Amino acid sequence: MATPGPPPGAGGTVRRHLTDEERREIFVRDALPYLDQLYSAALRYTRNPADAEDLVQETLTKAYAAFHQFRPGTNLRAWLYRILTNSYINAYRREQRQPDEISADAYEDFSLYDRIAATTQAPAEVEVLERLTDEEVRQALADLPEQFRMAVYLADVEGFSYAEIAEIMGTPVGTVMSRLHRGRSRLQKALYDFAVRRGLVPATVESPADRRDRS
Amino acid sequence: MDDDCDCRRVLDELQRYLDGECPETLERTVRAHLHDCPPCLDRAGFERSLRAIVARRCRDAAPAGMVERVIARLRIEASGL
Repeated sequence: MATPGPPPGAGGTVRRHLTDEERREIFVRDALPYLDQLYSAALRYTRNPADAEDLVQETLTKAYAAFHQFRPGTNLRAWLYRILTNSYINAYRREQRQPDEISADAYEDFSLYDRIAATTQAPAEVEVLERLTDEEVRQALADLPEQFRMAVYLADVEGFSYAEIAEIMGTPVGTVMSRLHRGRSRLQKALYDFAVRRGLVPATVESPADRRDRS
Repeated sequence: MDDDCDCRRVLDELQRYLDGECPETLERTVRAHLHDCPPCLDRAGFERSLRAIVARRCRDAAPAGMVERVIARLRIEASGL
């Protein structure tokens, strides 16, 4: 997806000396094109439209107040997401649990592909994915623990690199990779459960690998 | 036997590969293996489709009127500075 950045030289180092009106015009022109994306992220973070709008408002207000600190030519989109993510963590976080510290993760290596492939009556693997509804996919993502949800959203929906996600979430790259791996595995488990519940895939007997993972 | 080893190695790196985060040499190794190994290629295609489906279905537009509400708020903030 195209990610329009500010045109070269926009704002520049003289931004401090702009009038309020000029500064606002530049901000509106450069930052507001990301409004839909920021709202979409906020909705995934907060899981609630009213909180999502509040979070984006707060993010853009803070970004505007700090806009003179943003260096033109650097990554405005990542900078906005960093503010969004910090604002969310500070104001809206409800889960105090740190999923990175969960030692036993039953679904760490869950593979939806293997589960579908293991059943002879199921349609082709990709076809099962296509039959899942928007609501099921959204719900599966919404049900992930917060830090897994954020990492998966930033990578799979927004297409940020590991380094950018590390910057946005304020964690090392290794932590990003681990959260992505665990988040995606759990997401696949949740999608598998939806597929079984709707009869897209026949329920299978728990495999020895599952029992081992859980012990 | 060698094939199994290759498949396992590729599986271990598949996430990084699909995320475009492999160093160049590793990227070439994985790509060459996928080219020669239909089962791994099928799995990679599935994982790619899953990412695409999540991306497509988890996007929302901001509510109507929100741009105007944001701009109005910026005006208020600016006047309060």
